[in-house]
Amino acid sequence: MAEGEFRLRVRYGKVGRLRWLSHLEIVHALERIIRRAGLPYALTRGFSPHMKVAFGPALPVGTAGENEYLDVWLTRYTGVEDALGVLAACAPADLAPNLARFVGEKEPSLTAAITIARYEVAIEGKESSTENVRTALESVVSAGTFEVEHKGKHKVFDLARSLPEEARVRDREDGSVVDVTVRMGSQGSLRPELLVVRALETASVDATVLHTTRTDTLIETPEGVWVRPV
Amino acid sequence: MTNGGLWPQVERLLASVERPARYIDREWNAVHQPGADYRAALVYPDTYEIGQANQAIAILYATLNGLPAVVAERAYLPWLDMSTAMRDAGVPLFSLESCTALSEFDLIGITVPYELTYSNILEVLDLAGLPIRASERTEAHPLVIGGGPSAFNPEPFAPFFDAVLVGEGEEAVADIVAAHRAAKQSGLDRAATLMALSAVPGVYVPALYRPEYDADGAFIGVSAVPGAPDVVTKRVLADLDAHRPPTAPIVPFMDVVHDRFGVEVLRGCTRGCRFCQAGMVYRPVRERSADPIVRDVLAGLACTGYDEVSLTSLSTTDHSQLEEVLRRLQRRLEGTGVSVSLPSLRVDAFGVEMARLVSAGGKKSGLTLAPEAGTQRMRDVINKNVTEEDLLGSVQRAFEAGWRRVKLYFMIGLPTETDDDVRGIGELVGRVFRVAREATPPAQRGGLRVAVSVSTFVPKAQTPFQWDAQLPLEEVRRRQSVLRESMPRKGVELHWHDSDVSFLEGVMARGGREVADVIEAAWRDGATFDAWTERFNPSRWAAAFEACGIEPASIANRERTPAEPLPWDHISAGVSKRYLLRERERALTGELTPDCSFESCAGCDVCQDLGVDIVLGGVARG
Repeated sequence: MAEGEFRLRVRYGKVGRLRWLSHLEIVHALERIIRRAGLPYALTRGFSPHMKVAFGPALPVGTAGENEYLDVWLTRYTGVEDALGVLAACAPADLAPNLARFVGEKEPSLTAAITIARYEVAIEGKESSTENVRTALESVVSAGTFEVEHKGKHKVFDLARSLPEEARVRDREDGSVVDVTVRMGSQGSLRPELLVVRALETASVDATVLHTTRTDTLIETPEGVWVRPV
Repeated sequence: MTNGGLWPQVERLLASVERPARYIDREWNAVHQPGADYRAALVYPDTYEIGQANQAIAILYATLNGLPAVVAERAYLPWLDMSTAMRDAGVPLFSLESCTALSEFDLIGITVPYELTYSNILEVLDLAGLPIRASERTEAHPLVIGGGPSAFNPEPFAPFFDAVLVGEGEEAVADIVAAHRAAKQSGLDRAATLMALSAVPGVYVPALYRPEYDADGAFIGVSAVPGAPDVVTKRVLADLDAHRPPTAPIVPFMDVVHDRFGVEVLRGCTRGCRFCQAGMVYRPVRERSADPIVRDVLAGLACTGYDEVSLTSLSTTDHSQLEEVLRRLQRRLEGTGVSVSLPSLRVDAFGVEMARLVSAGGKKSGLTLAPEAGTQRMRDVINKNVTEEDLLGSVQRAFEAGWRRVKLYFMIGLPTETDDDVRGIGELVGRVFRVAREATPPAQRGGLRVAVSVSTFVPKAQTPFQWDAQLPLEEVRRRQSVLRESMPRKGVELHWHDSDVSFLEGVMARGGREVADVIEAAWRDGATFDAWTERFNPSRWAAAFEACGIEPASIANRERTPAEPLPWDHISAGVSKRYLLRERERALTGELTPDCSFESCAGCDVCQDLGVDIVLGGVARG
């Protein structure tokens, strides 16, 4: 952090209709929110100066996020509540910042620090009862590995490592919800809805994924404790 | 109307289409007024990312939403994946804000920006579930009203619209809504409503006009039914400062063209380039004054969060107070990372000085200059009042100041052009390259680029060249090869405008009402998004012309006599035919006509006929 800069970490949600935005669109929208808020943001030094801001792991188009994070560097100290107030006032409701704190410059970046994510995958359809979904899921998970083709790339996930907690299925109106916790790594992370879709297909269960929400992104401390970034 | 409208049905389609951000609404500054009792849908007939930046729609959106009990919402043409999914699922074209079917609105306003969007208009109407021809619509359907740059020859698309607004919309749109509401309150039927609308100045109701032909089938003019004006004259604002432009425009989420805050600094251009339709139809020049421009830039940036503002107009560097505006903005925006951009630059020292001012301390974007022609003779024919010395001097100063790229716009196929004029473009580019190279330190010469963009001249209605023949396709291709041979290769990137596209533009630009059948035939055969290179299919259009028995070359490639009736003679931009003919004469003799904003009146008759005046720095010249 250059002299006189303050690193503000902000939590926000990407929910409602704005789940359909891409990561790049989210980045641009949040930068515009910060400019509208009139925060004293710092600029990068370089050929083309731009706002000094960094984001947590990207969300796919169509996936909502309830606890997403960004770091923005300010040139002047601004009270956390004041900053949060103007940010929220300048954001669409479905992309509103809702918590903030200053963090030290020595703390690792959000992308490096966040290695755990919790998801809810909502399922609907004729056979979307918790019973059916649970059975379908168990057979895929018990295989131990999960293979996907994405954009021409073949990936193999070791489920013992990728799923640090057992996936759980619970009831919802007109269907069920799968709670999946995923460990994210440098070689990419497992997309939970792919796991669920594969399970439903393999077990020939007549049900489809309605929507996916990342409910939490977490930092795993050296002691193995999961904490929120703010 | 159900709450949330069609959204649940729309959302189900989003997972399977490209760029769902096109369809979701919820952008910053979008207006939601569920309670309004008069509803207008404003449509740009292309994708969201092309249409979102359109300033005319932004102005009308703000104007209509400011009227009591009126709401305006937006709609764009969905891309092919989405329109296919919508038809499969039975979802009609919807507005973004309330996700309401377009057919439920009182008025559908469609801007007509460009010839190659004509097929998209039919796609909009059909996707909305409306009959594509105005004559087939009933009391149950909304009024479909067009407007925009193409309204100055509305005939090729006239049958698809109930009415077309000619000219500027700020005041006219309120008059149209008032006339429509009054007609509804009096219980007028559709025919009577259209007659009432035709009484609004600037409003052209195609159903009240009939093209007529002689015994040999030759076009002899358009006649108005009794009660409709013989000539529809464009609407024009006398004072731009009296209409505060929107300073809370919608901020898109997705990447769109011109993704920045635009502030219009002046309207019109009186440089008098003889090929330029915009220069003829948007007269006279009306500058906004410096104070409101600076105020609107700062207000707009504060409530949008954009990192770039563009000072827009046909010719921004002509603004008499531009230097003052730029210096004030530079002071106010220092340290914010916000940049100012100018869309086009004069080919003279002033233009480059302004470019230097806007890029001070920031990055140097490309410099775009438009000499248009390669020889002085040709530039005199088109009344482009710049010399080769102006151009080379500007390039030299720009490269000395650190620019390493320049983009040059040229046209081929202008009236009286010879092969020497065509080769002159290549030779001029060679001289530009040498000047740029000498002004660049030797170590940096490797990165030096001159981009050359060459379009084919398309004669447009309401210009001095409206009587001239467009070059036939084979001749265009021959001249393109002459140009290619004369063009230096090293350091020059050459881009062409597709000659088949220019040909269709030419037919649409000067065609009459008979062309509407061709547009419908091509659309029925699958033509949409013709402005997208990968979608344009010349053989589909050729088949449509043949099926309708229309010879497109007789529209595009034929010279007309001054006595011949023209399909747009009943539409007036205020510029007299006498002036256009005189300018055409002067073109043939290479005689220049000075800019009337700074020198004497050129006699185009706009100021007298429309009761307006040139406004410089916010002050009418009087």
